Amino acid sequence: MLVAHRCKTCGKVHYPRHDRCLRCKRREFDEIHPQGNAKLLTYTAIYSLPSGFDQPFLIFGVGEFENNVRALGQIKTDSVKRLRTGMVVKAEWGPIRFQPDRIVSGLVFEPLE
Amino acid sequence: MREVAIIGAGMIPFGRREQDELMDMLATASLKALDDAGLGDQSVDAVYVANVGGGMLQHQSAIASSLADRLSLLPAAAETIENGPASGASAVKAGFLAIASGYYDTVLVVGGEKMHDISAPRATDFVAAMTHPQAEYPYGITMAGLGGMFARLYMEKYKITPLHLHAVSVKNHEMGALNPYAHIKSPIVPEIVFEGDFAEINNPIVADPLRLYDLCPVSDGAAAVVLSTVEVAKRSGRPYAVVAGFGQATDTHTLAQREDPVELKAVTLAARAAFDMANLTPSDIHVAELHDAFTILEIAISEHVGFFKKGEGGEAALDGRTCLGGQIPINVSGGLKARGHPLGATGVAQVAEIVWQLRHELPPERQVQNAEVGLTINFGGFANNVLCFILKRAQP
Repeated sequence: MLVAHRCKTCGKVHYPRHDRCLRCKRREFDEIHPQGNAKLLTYTAIYSLPSGFDQPFLIFGVGEFENNVRALGQIKTDSVKRLRTGMVVKAEWGPIRFQPDRIVSGLVFEPLE
Repeated sequence: MREVAIIGAGMIPFGRREQDELMDMLATASLKALDDAGLGDQSVDAVYVANVGGGMLQHQSAIASSLADRLSLLPAAAETIENGPASGASAVKAGFLAIASGYYDTVLVVGGEKMHDISAPRATDFVAAMTHPQAEYPYGITMAGLGGMFARLYMEKYKITPLHLHAVSVKNHEMGALNPYAHIKSPIVPEIVFEGDFAEINNPIVADPLRLYDLCPVSDGAAAVVLSTVEVAKRSGRPYAVVAGFGQATDTHTLAQREDPVELKAVTLAARAAFDMANLTPSDIHVAELHDAFTILEIAISEHVGFFKKGEGGEAALDGRTCLGGQIPINVSGGLKARGHPLGATGVAQVAEIVWQLRHELPPERQVQNAEVGLTINFGGFANNVLCFILKRAQP
């Protein structure tokens, strides 16, 4: 499950982890998880994949959750034509990469509209 | 702080150089720069080598030590500098600071990369290794993918169309065709690449909305410059370049963490620092080499440096204001788009190109007339580590 960090002093939400707050430089954080659905801030589909992926393409996006956690995830859809910036997506924690010895899990978005 | 001169520049043609070893490329570019500086049979105080993939791709580390030996520059100091695609500019910075501080008088800076030793998917994975190891890399995102997400937002916000991107691509291919060091030497025929029945095949989507002709190629290559004190430079009896300004800034590793992901804050800050140091403004720049790994970046950087207002960079490219003879010629070398992008070499190649421009020694079809001041922007990662140099022409 994705773990983000909210600064105990100023409330800024960080993902990935920072050891000092980007805004106030303090070092104490609360662990938080993404809450609710996410707003799709941007997205892309790539057709030139790195080694380790067998698919013909991958679709990604950055989602902003209701508690301000922002994170990259893969998007479960067959075409970017079904996507638009600002749309609502639901998120789950699922497989993102299949390696010979293990399955890597991560954030997977799915369009709700 | 002492004034620092650039007295020599050398490069080898970028492209697919399967027959060459990384060290061959670094050595050849270095010797050309040393000869150009008039130091052919002399040594230097230090050697800085910019390289990203030697350890990962060629299974070779301590490259600078090896190069100092191969070039018989012993006992010169030697360091390898890795800062992602900004390794080249970081190595130039190391040389600049070493001379400015008064510690060394002459420094060789060389950058090189050999990227065709591996398959295309592995090269893509190698470049993607600079993304965030938990929040980005495991998902399979690539640098082009980050470019695609950035492009979508930038195009939406500033009404940039594919026509604006085409203008950058056409210009840089046209200039690359005139540059003997360029990887891509074929001008674009818009009717074939962008239009007509086969456009989707000739120019397929790589990282939506970016297409093949929006992306720089994967290249092998090397470039070198020799830095010195002004006293050494004056002895050459010919024009040289001086480092008038330098700036560097970092930003968050992930694009998602930036408050406004289309703000290239590190570009703005690096350029501002360089302009302040040089006591110049964007309108004083006569020629610029900008990090156009993707066409959208040339437009966005041209705005963040201050050549154009936000949202005007696309129209400026379309109007020809960034062409040779235009308001501010950008990437007259062909840029990363056509000269190519051998990671460690790029930042050094940008500086070498500006040195040649300021010495007024390029052929007329590539020379910016009366160029006196030039600027470079080199990215490490996706705009999360940016270096800017401002160089000025000087006479002995």
